[in-house]
Amino acid sequence: MIYYLYDGTFEGLLTAIYEAYYRREKPAFIMRAEEYEANLFSRPVIIITDSEKSDKVYRSIEDKISRQALRHVYYAYLSDIKGVATLIYRYLQLGWQVGAELDSQLFREPVREMLAIYQRVSKERHRMLGLLRFCKLTGEIYFATCEPDHNIVGLVAPHFARRLADQNWVIYDQKRGLAAVYNQREWFITNLNLSGQLLYEENEKIYQQLWKQYFAGTAIQDRLNPKLQRQFMPVRYWQHLDEKN
Amino acid sequence: MFVVELLEKLSILSAAAKYDVSCSSSGSTRKNIRGGLGNAAQSGICHSWSDDGRCISLLKILLTNYCVYDCAYCVNRVSNDIPRASFTPEEVVDLTINFYRRNYIEGLFLSSAIWKNPNHTMELLVRAVRKLRVEYRFNGYIHLKAIPGADWKLIAEAGTLVDRMSVNIELPSSEGLKLLAPQKRKENILKPMSLLGSQILENREERKRFRKAPSFVPAGQSTQLIVGATSDSDLRIIKLSENLYRSFNMKRVYYSAYVPVSSNPKLPSISTPPLDREHRLYQADWLLRFYGFEAQELLSDSHPNFQLELDPKSDWALRHLNLFPVEVNKADYHLLLRVPGIGVKSAQKIVAARRFHSLDYEDLHKIGVVLRRARYFITCRGKYYGEVPFREDVIKQRLVPKQKQEPSWTQLSLFSEQSIPVEDRQTTITGEL
Repeated sequence: MIYYLYDGTFEGLLTAIYEAYYRREKPAFIMRAEEYEANLFSRPVIIITDSEKSDKVYRSIEDKISRQALRHVYYAYLSDIKGVATLIYRYLQLGWQVGAELDSQLFREPVREMLAIYQRVSKERHRMLGLLRFCKLTGEIYFATCEPDHNIVGLVAPHFARRLADQNWVIYDQKRGLAAVYNQREWFITNLNLSGQLLYEENEKIYQQLWKQYFAGTAIQDRLNPKLQRQFMPVRYWQHLDEKN
Repeated sequence: MFVVELLEKLSILSAAAKYDVSCSSSGSTRKNIRGGLGNAAQSGICHSWSDDGRCISLLKILLTNYCVYDCAYCVNRVSNDIPRASFTPEEVVDLTINFYRRNYIEGLFLSSAIWKNPNHTMELLVRAVRKLRVEYRFNGYIHLKAIPGADWKLIAEAGTLVDRMSVNIELPSSEGLKLLAPQKRKENILKPMSLLGSQILENREERKRFRKAPSFVPAGQSTQLIVGATSDSDLRIIKLSENLYRSFNMKRVYYSAYVPVSSNPKLPSISTPPLDREHRLYQADWLLRFYGFEAQELLSDSHPNFQLELDPKSDWALRHLNLFPVEVNKADYHLLLRVPGIGVKSAQKIVAARRFHSLDYEDLHKIGVVLRRARYFITCRGKYYGEVPFREDVIKQRLVPKQKQEPSWTQLSLFSEQSIPVEDRQTTITGEL
């Protein structure tokens, strides 16, 4: 069985798909090089990222299938779910056969699985738009820490660049060591590994306290429903929510 | 000192505002401006969920809870002995901006008790909102309460500043209003509602022609009524909602189960709010807005209230079994929407998927249609999968959730005092029956 191993970038993944299309030997799996574990029956093929090839695939998805399919592929790539690269490959194979109608063919397994993953990622993205909590640090920087299931920092950054346009902010993904940084003009993604304490601006604690109190006081005691609360706001997000600490 | 005072004010004035159930922050596309703060998200964004499971999207506060009215169902009534406070416009602005910058909230929901008179109160509200929008260039979502009885000029000015406005209808009938809120009059509530409705419609037309025309309440108006404080039937309530949607161009009607906040003899004495009834009303409200149902289809004078153990759509379907079962491969979209358990998304999926091949029961399952209720009302390629006779009583029995029964047995333990009958004791030892 042939394994295509790519470098973990989106371009790398698209290059692998390009090669899978043109080379004679078709892969059974596509995965990140670091995920690969050798076994008796596997034959790894290292794919070297080539931006010309990946551009071709990118444009071909857009033109021959749909913009929506491209979006699904990108979100699925960001999901960090194990085995998703192979799924993307199967999804696109099908896509080049049926064209723009791909996403309405729900009875096909790769389509269904891709849409489910797309939904999971976009759901978490939307949730994070609400659940991120910034705290104001000395030096006029608003800092938010999160540990999302999927790699969505780049997906939420444009929203905050529009919304909090007149403040400097950082959205830090503690799990992946990534951060989106915005300087009142543009945002970019960078590696960041933080150690040590954050230095709060002097009024920060006051607003956190006000918020906590507002949060506690707004619940109607006659209708407490913690199960419903957890359903909307899973416990795994709580550690970065001021009101839940 | 300042902080302690602010904390206290916030606790009083948010506690007083929490019975306003509207939490929505959707429907507006207000953009940020150069050098400004914030924008609105079309879909709305929830920022947290409080311990009662309701979402927190907006900073929901009263400007003041000093009230001249004495409405029996309300915590802020003048005769109620509670701590009182009021915010200055600066405090409202400071809280909103600082909460917003930390992404705690999506915007502000500002309401107020009636201080001195309606006009004075409305003026204060407008002043706070104007400060936010003009002075602080804040473009986040603002929901403002229109005070019944205030001058239309004031309400209209507010409309140009905010995203959503609401006038609470409070009680479903004018008799109820007379009984419990004698100082409020139905006309005073309906007049601003209808003016808002027509102004919103006019503005929408104008913005189609001139893209830059200033917006007026772009996210529409909503209202709220209390369920279970008067003896009004469900039929009366959803007929009222239907009228509000049709004639006042209302975006949402909210229902709030009456929470016992007073022991006034005019009010029903209940120990817990009627949450199940509230839930059924919301379901019916959805049926009116998205499923093409009419109020009189769902309920009638001989059947004026929803069954608490059955959702309104199943209830309706069981009374119209002659229309069912429908064939999923043939039924049109609107008929599919009427099948219990099939919602807007499922109906759309079915219509999209059956263009490619005819669907059987497994296919439905695969594309994500929930069949727990739907199976009794559909056929797939002519076959019925309900597994029970197609009769009202039998299906109903399947649909009503089973009551959890207390187990009739108990776990024995070494030290339990329950005595075992003598014969049993013998058979346990000998193993002979």
